[in-house]
Amino acid sequence: MSVEPFVKIALWLRRLRVLTAKELLQLLRDAALMFVILYAFTADIYIAGSGVSLQLNQAGIAVIDSDHSFASRELIYRFRPPYFRLDGEVSDTATGMRLLDEGKVMALLDIPPNFQQQLMEGRPTAVQLQVDTSNAVLGTLAAGYAGQIVGKYGFEAALDRAGLSADSLATLPHIEDRHRVWYNPNQNDAWFFTIAELMTVITVLAIVLPAAATVREKERGTIEQLIVSPLSPIQILLPKVLSMMLVILLGTAVSVFLILDLLFEVPFKGSLPLFFAVTLLYVFSTAGIGLVAATMSRNLAQVGMLTIMILAPLILLSGVWTPPEAMPPGLREAMYLSPLYYYIEMGYGILLKGAGLDILWDSLLGLALLGSLIFSFGVWRFKRQFG
Amino acid sequence: MNLRRIRVLAFKEWREILRDRLFFSLAFIVPSVLMLVFGYGIILDVEKLPFAVLDQDRSEMSREYLHKFMGSRYFDYQGEVQSERELSPLLADSKIRLAIIIPENFQKNLTEGHPAPVQSLIDGTFPFRAQTAKGYVIAINAATNAELMAKWIARKQGMTLERATALVSPVKLELRYLYNQELKSRWSVAAALVMFILMVSPPFLTALGVVREKENGSIYNIYTSTVTRGEFLIGKLLPYIGISIINIFILWFMATTLFGAPFKGDPLFFLLASIVYVVCTTGIGLLVSLLVQTQVAAMIMTAIITVVPSVLYSGLLIPVSSLEAAAQIEAHLFPAMYYTNIVLGSFIKGVGAEILWRNVLMLMIYAAVLWLLSFSLFRKRPKT
Repeated sequence: MSVEPFVKIALWLRRLRVLTAKELLQLLRDAALMFVILYAFTADIYIAGSGVSLQLNQAGIAVIDSDHSFASRELIYRFRPPYFRLDGEVSDTATGMRLLDEGKVMALLDIPPNFQQQLMEGRPTAVQLQVDTSNAVLGTLAAGYAGQIVGKYGFEAALDRAGLSADSLATLPHIEDRHRVWYNPNQNDAWFFTIAELMTVITVLAIVLPAAATVREKERGTIEQLIVSPLSPIQILLPKVLSMMLVILLGTAVSVFLILDLLFEVPFKGSLPLFFAVTLLYVFSTAGIGLVAATMSRNLAQVGMLTIMILAPLILLSGVWTPPEAMPPGLREAMYLSPLYYYIEMGYGILLKGAGLDILWDSLLGLALLGSLIFSFGVWRFKRQFG
Repeated sequence: MNLRRIRVLAFKEWREILRDRLFFSLAFIVPSVLMLVFGYGIILDVEKLPFAVLDQDRSEMSREYLHKFMGSRYFDYQGEVQSERELSPLLADSKIRLAIIIPENFQKNLTEGHPAPVQSLIDGTFPFRAQTAKGYVIAINAATNAELMAKWIARKQGMTLERATALVSPVKLELRYLYNQELKSRWSVAAALVMFILMVSPPFLTALGVVREKENGSIYNIYTSTVTRGEFLIGKLLPYIGISIINIFILWFMATTLFGAPFKGDPLFFLLASIVYVVCTTGIGLLVSLLVQTQVAAMIMTAIITVVPSVLYSGLLIPVSSLEAAAQIEAHLFPAMYYTNIVLGSFIKGVGAEILWRNVLMLMIYAAVLWLLSFSLFRKRPKT
């Protein structure tokens, strides 16, 4: 046996190293691009996490109080933060409707005359609430909370009339609601949004960077030089992916330690090394998509548009905005085709839920299978084009 | 400003776009695909939450109580577990989003007139969904309590159940839903998508178009020609604005037919306001393309600076008035918010220029600032 195989392997690795260095250098020299990447991993994620919440937060409410009694004021007073914010009283419905039309308030509460009197006499009464449902989700939430407030108010008024105070509830049969929200006890939206945005940024970069690096060679014609050199298609493509992986992993580390940990105090319940390992596998899988897109286009403009076409369904089918259980039947199965679905499942699982491989092994397996499939397809297409 | 030169430049650009068949078709296909995919796929209604129960009481009353969850379209029953330990891996693996635990003596406590605790564990990974799920649980408990209380009062005070029921909930809330009576979140999403897509696609097209000339070096032809800066910018961007205007019609058509969103406002006003908006977002692409040198950088930069603000700071998900102070300022600095008002107003609320004119004015100012800024940044003699 000779040493030839080892020499071959050493040469193979050396070519890989040199080309990876070339790709890295090319990437680093594009100052604007480096700045954009840095921005994506820091400021962009910070913006996504700060100040935004999907919950009903201080929805403006205007009131027509035709009763002006103690009871009506007591009810109005209960529409207060965090869910509602009293934006003042109006004298008639027309003025209230105008405020709704302009979007100045979200709801208009109308309390009829004799509200207090009817309540005292034990006769049923009703208050009216007009809700702006042009945003259906928030409209539903506002209606729900208003229902809770009015229901509780009526219940306490009834107890009052029956000569029972709220303290005497302990001697009445009722269900004590003890809910606990796990993984994010205070429903801090920032934890959700920063992780979601980080994963989206990783996805965008993992697809765009290798795709662009490959198409640029095609557009400028430098691909011809690579083809005539003693390099195999793998040796041409792998360095592009490796260099991008390095940059993305570094960016992820900056983002995780600087933005998520330091600024938003996201609790890392699970193992961070596992998270980074999963991220590496994910970047590799998605880079394959970039390569496929690169083989399908001739210039950067085309690849840019193709990437958007691929990114939109990828993000949609990931479960960030619509979890699997809410998906219509056909789309739920299609989620298994999105690498981001597995990554989201594992990312939130590791970071927030503290899940380990014993729980996440199936997602990991799915991602690995899908990733190698896509990557091989990309290489195969490239080989066919230039082989 | 020479109109003929502008026309010639616009024609050259148009022909270049047209000849790149893939790019040309994608310029229309991408917005439609985005509309289709997101319009069907974003479901913000929280329904069919998978849940499991741990019933340690196993009594008639506990089963009756749990049936309220099983019968609701908001919940989707996944089965029963035997111990609390089994719940944690189910939640961690997203197999369930909610667990309900009924301790022993549930029935005994309630029949003897004592409070009975019920514990629910909610997956808080998606805070918005957790909050909504919590609301459903609270509502079911409140309804159960009203029943329990009415029965108890009826028995203690010897009155009919009906009277007792009226007694425990004396105030009724009459709800009237304005603008979107059936609470179709698909309408809101479709209208909002028009805003989102017209924010993302025009700058993308523009940035690629301008930076391509920079990267290929063909921009030196412009640098050495007699064409002025203003003529170049206007001529270059006219075709892209034209494409986006056609896209306004396509998106409007899809929103109203495919997703059944109503269009209650003034079509002419909406078209004019949309054109102003498209000129504005094209300006964003122009500004980006003057700041970067390569098409990759242009693509990533436009994606990042347009997507996040138009999703989170536009009033699409949360009304701007509910944002925190810093986020409110950001929302006002970005054109998406003004156009969101116009879209929701025109589609769903049915209001017109008399209420929305301020938003159009802001978009005009925004567009003017962007274009003037780009004009002053564009140099025919690049720094060496």
